[in-house]
Amino acid sequence: MVDDDERAPSPEEMLRVIEEQSHATVRLLQGDPRLLYVPWGVSWLLGFAALFLHYGLDGRSYLPISQMQAVSVLMGAMIVAGAVSAYGIVKMNKSVRGDTSARGAMYGYAWLAGMVLASLIAIRLGPMLPAAERGLLWAGGPLLVVALLYMLGGAIWLNWPMFFIGGWTAGVNALGVLLGPGPHALLTAVLLGGGFIAAGLWLWRRQRG
Amino acid sequence: MSGDAENKPGGAPPELDPVIHAQARLRVVAALNVLADGDEMAFNSLKELLGMTAGNLSVHLTKLEDAGYVRITKTHRGRTPVTYVALTKRGRLAFEEYTAAIRALLDNAGGVR
Repeated sequence: MVDDDERAPSPEEMLRVIEEQSHATVRLLQGDPRLLYVPWGVSWLLGFAALFLHYGLDGRSYLPISQMQAVSVLMGAMIVAGAVSAYGIVKMNKSVRGDTSARGAMYGYAWLAGMVLASLIAIRLGPMLPAAERGLLWAGGPLLVVALLYMLGGAIWLNWPMFFIGGWTAGVNALGVLLGPGPHALLTAVLLGGGFIAAGLWLWRRQRG
Repeated sequence: MSGDAENKPGGAPPELDPVIHAQARLRVVAALNVLADGDEMAFNSLKELLGMTAGNLSVHLTKLEDAGYVRITKTHRGRTPVTYVALTKRGRLAFEEYTAAIRALLDNAGGVR
């Protein structure tokens, strides 16, 4: 039986088939940027906005919100973001096995190691610092891990947007740490929270185009 | 072959590999060609990606395997049997030659590429 697929299509049609199929496969393998970037953006926007309202720019709170409450908002939002992006990563990785998935697994463990280490450093050194500086240690340390691992991810997969997003994170974090807890929270909420949301949506649109 | 077509634009049209020159198999090969060397795609993911039935995809994969273009590995993930598919070096080369031949045909016809 000669099925529908066996007819001889035109060269234009075949070239279009190749291009469409290649794009669809790249989309599957790269994962959905809305799941990989946007949840982190939303969690930082909410969490660091809460921290900013607590610190204020000049050390006076804009809202009666304690540091613990603001940190709870941040942590809660980040747990949700972690779950959503983990779903995106699992969905992306279940299709393929081989060198790429081994690379992805090692990269995932590097995230875990980095975050655990940043937390341990903050737990050990935090009590020795004034409250505001302690908050900066808890915020700046993990963001250092985020920045470096995004840049490293760009290097591993030769993914320039990922590399630049990591560089952007490093720059915003560095500037915020130098300026102090209030400005750090504001810059992180707007430039990283908003930045990750914008980057996720832009990458998604570009992927579909 | 594609090289001939490129060298002799006014000559005989390039031959198109009959194994790949069927839309369904071309889509299979185009999808697998995106994978990095050393990677394999799970049969079920490939089936969903291509929107084919398992039976239909199996038939096309068998034809591609017979031509030496794909490598099929049957294994287990836990207790669940999983089949992985990858393009062989020969398959990758055949796809590259097919793409070059298609482009040469379009060039010869004054097409879009």
